[in-house]
Amino acid sequence: MTESKTASRTWMRAQSKVGRRAAMPVVALGMVGCTLAIGQAWCAGFALQAALMPGPLTNRLAADPLLLLGGFAALAVLRAGLSMLAEHAAFEAGATARRRLRTDAMTRLLAAGPSLLRGRHSGDLTSVVVDRIEAVDGLFARWMPAATLASASPMLVLVATALADPVAALVLGGCGMLVPVAMALSGIGAAVASKRQFAALAHLQARFLDRVRGIATIVMHGRAGDEALALGRAADELRRRTMRVLRVAFLSSVALDLAMALAMIVIALRYGGQALTGTLASPGTALFVLLLVPEFFAPLRAFAAAYQERFHAGSAADALAALPPPPVPVPEQPVRTVQARGVTVSFEAVRLTWDAARGPALDGLSFRVPAGETLVLVGPSGSGKSTVMEILLGFVRPEAGRVTFNGADIASLIPQALSRMTAWIGQRPILFAGTIRENIRFARPEASDAEVEEAARLARVDGFAAGLPLGLDTHVGEVGYGLSGGQAQRVAIARAFLKNAPLLLLDEPTVHLDPTTEAEVLESLRRLTIGRTVIMASHSSAAHGFGGRRLDLRAGRVAA
Amino acid sequence: MTDLASPLLRVLSLWRGRAVWLLAGALITMAALAAGMALMGLSGGLVAGLVTGTALGVPALLRTLGPVRVVLRYLERLVAHDATFRALADLRVWFFRGLAGSAAGGLGFRRAGDVLARLVNDVEALDGLYIRILLPLSCAVLLVVALPLLLLRLDPRVAAGVAVLFVIAAFVLPVLAARASAGAGHRLSMATAALRVAALDAISGLREVRAFGAEGRMLALVQAREGALLDAQRDVSARGARAGAAAFLCGQAAILVVLAAATLRWVPDTPAAIAATFLVVAGFEAVAGLTLAGSQAGHASAAAVRVLEAAEGAPPVPDPAHPAPLPAGSALRFEAVQFRWQPDRASVFDAFSLDIPAGTRIAVLGPSGSGKSTLAALALKVAAPQAGRVLLGGMDIATLSGDAVRSRIAWLSQATHLFDDTIRNNLLLARPDADEAALWAALESAHIAAFVRSLPDGLDAWVGEAGAKVSGGQGRRLALARALLSAAPILILDEPCVGLDAETERDFMATLNEVADGRTLVLIAHRLTGVERLDRIWRLSAGHAVAAAG
Repeated sequence: MTESKTASRTWMRAQSKVGRRAAMPVVALGMVGCTLAIGQAWCAGFALQAALMPGPLTNRLAADPLLLLGGFAALAVLRAGLSMLAEHAAFEAGATARRRLRTDAMTRLLAAGPSLLRGRHSGDLTSVVVDRIEAVDGLFARWMPAATLASASPMLVLVATALADPVAALVLGGCGMLVPVAMALSGIGAAVASKRQFAALAHLQARFLDRVRGIATIVMHGRAGDEALALGRAADELRRRTMRVLRVAFLSSVALDLAMALAMIVIALRYGGQALTGTLASPGTALFVLLLVPEFFAPLRAFAAAYQERFHAGSAADALAALPPPPVPVPEQPVRTVQARGVTVSFEAVRLTWDAARGPALDGLSFRVPAGETLVLVGPSGSGKSTVMEILLGFVRPEAGRVTFNGADIASLIPQALSRMTAWIGQRPILFAGTIRENIRFARPEASDAEVEEAARLARVDGFAAGLPLGLDTHVGEVGYGLSGGQAQRVAIARAFLKNAPLLLLDEPTVHLDPTTEAEVLESLRRLTIGRTVIMASHSSAAHGFGGRRLDLRAGRVAA
Repeated sequence: MTDLASPLLRVLSLWRGRAVWLLAGALITMAALAAGMALMGLSGGLVAGLVTGTALGVPALLRTLGPVRVVLRYLERLVAHDATFRALADLRVWFFRGLAGSAAGGLGFRRAGDVLARLVNDVEALDGLYIRILLPLSCAVLLVVALPLLLLRLDPRVAAGVAVLFVIAAFVLPVLAARASAGAGHRLSMATAALRVAALDAISGLREVRAFGAEGRMLALVQAREGALLDAQRDVSARGARAGAAAFLCGQAAILVVLAAATLRWVPDTPAAIAATFLVVAGFEAVAGLTLAGSQAGHASAAAVRVLEAAEGAPPVPDPAHPAPLPAGSALRFEAVQFRWQPDRASVFDAFSLDIPAGTRIAVLGPSGSGKSTLAALALKVAAPQAGRVLLGGMDIATLSGDAVRSRIAWLSQATHLFDDTIRNNLLLARPDADEAALWAALESAHIAAFVRSLPDGLDAWVGEAGAKVSGGQGRRLALARALLSAAPILILDEPCVGLDAETERDFMATLNEVADGRTLVLIAHRLTGVERLDRIWRLSAGHAVAAAG
């Protein structure tokens, strides 16, 4: 738990570094905007002075009210343009960060490979890549610039105030200092408030999501009414607890309001007193300084408002920090491909352990499959059939022993070369969102339409496709037409035909099919095996009638 | 406008019961605004008055206004948040009840958990309705009356000019932004969905991707879909920025009008004009967020439409007005049932008949798409046949209430959900009044008691989201224990082992042989593992049940 906390904190720190640099344009535009606002306050202050005290003035620029009003208007237009630019820059900062993080996350997931799906649900991982990364947008687009501006802009205003009236600047600075001091004194700042509030809300939302996902289970048990009541009670209890925290936490906002009101009143009283005694040198300056007070506190308030973005990003940080590590760059090796009319596969005393507590999955396994021949691996679950497949596919590497293709150790083959030589059909093929044609073409993107159709014909995909609304151009996948298990397996066989690789790996391709469909699919598979080296893992009954040599596996060894 | 606002208004009407709180929040917000405006106006006017010698001291009002405003702002935050939390709870409870009763709830029966999860996102999109839209709007309504009234004393022309600018900034621009966002919202959700599909394909197809060396292609596709989403978002952001800048310029123009009125002496009372300048600054600032809120209203409105559709949909099978009492027997019988899910889809059953006497153990086999799960849906009254009858204990279930039918049938499938709660609470769902002994007995029968005993917290151990903290086999056994705990005499197991490896599946099936003695057991599967002990085996073929060798 603490380890994951540390990981997520490290992640946040690393991102802050990158994010602050990316926020520079937004910060720069914000500073310019603040300077323009100071200029506007100056124009407004002295225009009002002209209204109050018509007559000659020492400052010649300040003498012409029309010039001052014009300046005010021009600065307003500039500020509007600047705010659009800043908005654009903020969007780009967020977009750049999301693009970088998403590519990074996808690269990690793709590099980690299928072993990832053993422990985690693909839906969860997808939501990390899509939703969690969307949720960090505010961190980069809003929070990071606001965090820098919260200290930089008030400083700018303070300098301007000091130039006009050093005493007022002292008051303003003092009141500004009150904010962090008051937050620290109340012991609980905007940070904790937002954090608690957000955590509580996240908890309620998780519970709600869980109950909605399982709504069928609840309805089937006739408990919908009770659950609705419980949901209401949980929300109410949460409200009570959260409000207890917020009552204290909002005091930090009170500190901010109080500081601003205090600054406003003290400064107003100071000039009021001076005016009463006739010692007010320049009413324009007085009004200018008064108008600066809201400008001084505005970035602080923007910062408080952006604080929740940081906590939105907090849970995303946990998820992103928990992703598999980035891929290690493959060391430069002499690239080997295997000259192949056919592939001879051999295992030489291969050993591999998934989980030390359960013993080795493969325990010195050796066998040889000459080019063009078929080997059927038979054995109960846990005997090591799947592990053999995973090694041949390059998903894992053996701890000891060698696996060779035509005498070359597959550890020396780059993954692309390995995948070019092999075609694979698993237990449940995944069909991607798209047409059947696109799904077959996945095996070889550069294949012509004629080649795809030929593969579909050989795998007997055309048989059932003819009955679909748009034939091979029917959409399948999550949002498309649902294909049956047997039909999906035929699409997988068509992929293998199209790929036309010399080595064919079949990992229990019919285990989830009913017997009739199984027989039909096996028939198509037999056609696919002609002229290829084939290694098939199978439960014993399906292996009957599928030619080739049988190898019985027991506990990672060839059964005696 | 109406098509955009009406779904949101419908959601608001759900909060009628909280009217007092919501109104209190709005009133305090407006009072805080008034105090803030008074503070700004008085400070400006004071300085001006002192300079011109028309004011002789600091009014006591100014001294008290500061603290009053601070207190009001504090109260505003507290009450607004309290009201929001209440409204959030109401919305969720209402949505949950509606979903449970509507056909959309049946989605869960047909394994559409992700669709439901997206609906939850829509509910969350409505969370900001009160604080982000309603409260600033109430301030705008107050100001659109108060601001011109205050300025009227100064000069009618100035008041009129400021009023026009205020209406543009607080009402016209937000509405325009809302309208624009309604179209963009659709584009955004399409782009997000496309990105999600690409990512889900790449991740769930990690084996295929690796086996075919397609990593680069998949990454490129995700990046391209992301690019499209960012383009759509960039459009929305730019449009929002333009509307925001326009609203800002309206405020600046209004300040300029009052400033000019004071400086160029269009009005006789200069200190009042200066006070008015400060008022206008504060007034426009209070509604500055409305344009942004407007650009989010389209999104919220689209979300509201989906939420309302899901929660107010017609029930899949309406209960009869006067349900008949449950019959004593629990024989299940399908009589010449004809069924199709949708009028434009092929029919699943055509004159389908099947007899399941009480206490028998049968299996129904068939390839996917042959209607195996439909059988369970019909028996559980999640779907109703277009013709023919389903009989429970000799009684047409159309004459019984859905809850009554389901009290007789325990259902276990791959869509059966384990809740992110304790093992105890997960079990109690089936029988809330079950005692400790009954819970352990059910766990023993499902062969999972030893595992639960080995956990430090035992029955009070947390299961984790969708059973994430237990293995697939353990999760299925916990679900079985829950099904066994219920007193239902009929047990329907709909592909209970999907997603488990072959060995775990066999163990689970072997466990089934020892339990449920005396109960009717209906096992729905695409194939048998060979260890099942059954009375009859039926094979579904072309919408008919054919006796299979068993």
